[in-house]
Amino acid sequence: MRLLEWFRRAAGPVSRRFVSVRPPPREELFDDDFQRKLETLAIVSRRVFAGRLRAERRTKKKGSGVEFADHRVYVPGDDFRYVDWNVYQRFGRLLVRLYEEEEDLSIYFIVDCSTSMGFGNGRRFDQARRLCAALAYVGLANLDRVTIVGVSDGVVARMPTTRGKGRIFKVLGFLRELEARGTTDLGSALKTFVAQHKRRGLAVLFSDLYDHEGFANGINVLRYNKFEPYVIHLVDPREDRPALRGDVRIYDCETGEEREVTVTDRVLERMAQAQAEYRAEAERFCTRNQVAYFPAEVDAPFDELILRVFRRGGFLR
Amino acid sequence: MVFTGLPLATLLPLAGVAAAIVVFFYVLKLRRRPVAVPFARIWERILRDQEATHLFSQLKRLLSLLLQLVLLTLLLMALGDPRLAQTLLEGRSTVVLVDTSASMKALDVAPSRLGAAREEVRRLVGSLANADRVLVARMDATVAPLSTMTDDTAALEAAVDALAPTDTRADLAQGLAFALDVLRGLPHPEIVVVGDGAYGDLAAVNAQVALGDMPVRFIPLGKEQRNVAITQFSVRRYPLDKSRHEALLEVTNTNDVPADVELTLLGDGDVVDVTRLKLGPRERLPRFYADLAGANRTIEARITLTGGDRDYLPADDHAYALMPERRRARVLVVTSGNTYLEAALLLDEYLDVTLIEPARYPPPGAFDVTIFDGVAPALAAGTGAALYLDPPAEGGPVVPDRAVDELFGFDEWDRKSPLVRWMAMADIQVASGHTLHPGPGDRVVGASEHGPILVSGTRGGRPFVALGFDPRRSDLVLRVAWPLFILNTIDHFVQEDASYISSFRTGDVWRIPTPSSASLAELRDPSGRTRSVPVQHGRAVHFGDQAGFYELVVPGEPEAAKIGFAGNLVDLAESEIAPRTELGLGAPPPAARTALSPGIRRDIWVYLVAAVLLLSAIEWFTFHRRVTV
Repeated sequence: MRLLEWFRRAAGPVSRRFVSVRPPPREELFDDDFQRKLETLAIVSRRVFAGRLRAERRTKKKGSGVEFADHRVYVPGDDFRYVDWNVYQRFGRLLVRLYEEEEDLSIYFIVDCSTSMGFGNGRRFDQARRLCAALAYVGLANLDRVTIVGVSDGVVARMPTTRGKGRIFKVLGFLRELEARGTTDLGSALKTFVAQHKRRGLAVLFSDLYDHEGFANGINVLRYNKFEPYVIHLVDPREDRPALRGDVRIYDCETGEEREVTVTDRVLERMAQAQAEYRAEAERFCTRNQVAYFPAEVDAPFDELILRVFRRGGFLR
Repeated sequence: MVFTGLPLATLLPLAGVAAAIVVFFYVLKLRRRPVAVPFARIWERILRDQEATHLFSQLKRLLSLLLQLVLLTLLLMALGDPRLAQTLLEGRSTVVLVDTSASMKALDVAPSRLGAAREEVRRLVGSLANADRVLVARMDATVAPLSTMTDDTAALEAAVDALAPTDTRADLAQGLAFALDVLRGLPHPEIVVVGDGAYGDLAAVNAQVALGDMPVRFIPLGKEQRNVAITQFSVRRYPLDKSRHEALLEVTNTNDVPADVELTLLGDGDVVDVTRLKLGPRERLPRFYADLAGANRTIEARITLTGGDRDYLPADDHAYALMPERRRARVLVVTSGNTYLEAALLLDEYLDVTLIEPARYPPPGAFDVTIFDGVAPALAAGTGAALYLDPPAEGGPVVPDRAVDELFGFDEWDRKSPLVRWMAMADIQVASGHTLHPGPGDRVVGASEHGPILVSGTRGGRPFVALGFDPRRSDLVLRVAWPLFILNTIDHFVQEDASYISSFRTGDVWRIPTPSSASLAELRDPSGRTRSVPVQHGRAVHFGDQAGFYELVVPGEPEAAKIGFAGNLVDLAESEIAPRTELGLGAPPPAARTALSPGIRRDIWVYLVAAVLLLSAIEWFTFHRRVTV
């Protein structure tokens, strides 16, 4: 009977008992060192944008602010007060001065909480939460309205909108409680998100973009609903050359979808190419649709990544 | 193609079962290691490309299965030991009897007759035709196969290398009988005898063995016949003066021309006597050396030809003999006075005799033999073996049966018993005495018409001899037989047997008396090799095939006993080394042999196994290189 059982186990389909994703290690996500770096980042962000930012954020709206933005041709109905008479005197053309309207900026941090984010030892998910915490701190320090939501195939967690640097501990506590669990469906999740948040603003998406329905759906939902999407793509270089060899049965950690693969050097090379193509595809999509895209490696120091985000622009204006 | 190993009827079911097992394991779905991935869609992109190679993968898997089945088929065919039917039909079965007797040590051909025999057999093995099979056997006093009936030239070469000469005669009749037994039922049988033809009376061989139509081929060896040999040799101590001995030997000239011989006698390695002899054609000259002294253990005789002649067989120029070891026996005599007994004991200077009154028994000390003269006290430690003269009714090992008061004598006696050796027993007259009642296991050595009067046996591990009358009440004490009886009995007790065999003849089964009841003994032969030999009924059994001095170690209490003896080739038939050109057995000559067809080795199974190994190596290499993964 034991032999029969052995044959059943040898010949039968892969049992779920043998399938597991290693849980992330228990370590302090936001330690003291992390919090010291947050303060440094806030100071650096002020210095980088000094003279242009006076502790406020600008929107794309042109309005009655004090900051000159541009000229445009006068059309009937425009307020005469904004006609630039100096220009008219010099060039004989009626142009209207445009000012950037000042308002509180809403920043939405959307953290992908699907299982794939916690795959392996959870480095990707930890990096996403650290980046989210850092950017949230910068936003809070600049008196922006900060909202954080966790999504997988829906909105799985939401931190109410808050502002002020003093709320950072609330942010950290919220992020600490997030778990990577569930399947990825950014389209469905972000539809729920936009329905819940009428006030438009910057939507920073932290995700690995491993969406079986296609990552474009979710980003497009943000675009179509007048949000300004900013995609931070969490990339794990280990997935380019996984430590596999020989005959294996792979299965998707979210859907359980199985395939039999014989992993050879050639297959691993193709895997690296496929990963690069996938990232290039995401970047092409974002560039084509004027969506800010930033790839973030999971092992890179988060403070350096944040500075690169600042330097690249688009997040702070 | 014919399978000479496992038959086809066995191979086919075996192949079916094995193939089913192989196919089952291939059909069995490969259990793959489950591995989680974060996003299977990316793998799908790769696998889409691999779909194109899926057919090739299936083909590789099928090829792998076919390869396994091919390997299986090859192995099973190898088990069947396939042969070409044609070669099997043409094969001959040959038994090669190689003479390894003493005469094959003759040096008239280089390097020796046996060396030439080896070359002849090698030549014969090298000329085997396809499917011919040969068995090589040595033939001396016994016949022993050195190989199986095989066509494996390596095995046959090894058998030829194992041929070694012995100091025994050749028994052609036994060899032919062995060959007939081996060849019975085999196709195209043939017997080949390689030797010098010194096989004694061939008419007797013909009478013993019915060869019938069996072809017998004789390959003669040897050129010369000049040889002088020692054909008899024996040495013994004098029973009453063991410091001296006498030797008898016989020197034989086996040639038709006279020979001048120098005979040297060595005692314990030192020259004792040198004699020059002149032998006529085919003369057998006995020589008797009396009253020799100066040797304690070994006597060796050597002969050499003088006058520039060469003796081509040195093996029979030596003869060896070993004399029993002398030692002083301690004898205790418990008697109230017996002049005849004391006189008899005086004759052997190698006895330490202690006389005591019966009342003083036991005295301090240990003795080899105690003689109880008319008394039978309780035996004390250190008594040794016991000789009872006229034992009383109580205390003796045997009970006096009934008194006899009329004249009687020895009407029956055991002539082979060492106790009565050289004694004239028939006319001994006894005035009065007792018959003895022997116990179980006792041996009646002598008896009168009234019953046993001389009994030997063992009590409590201690040997005894009991005489049922007082010798003084007979004329025994007046005869030469009296001291002989006393000394024979003492010699028998202390294992210093005057009948000691100074040498054994090689080619016989030797039965060497041992003092212990051990079942195994260690025998060291003249070449220094040690082997275990069985001991049966107190005698170590060994088939002697080497001349020289042997030493037998028999385990026992309190210490192991060492027994020396000698083996001699004293065989006139072996010394007749004149080569014979034909045997004249009347058997038909064998058909002419066809030469071996060179090139392909005839064992197909070897190539099948080699093919399996080659295919396995290729398969392993390609797998290791991921070509077939």
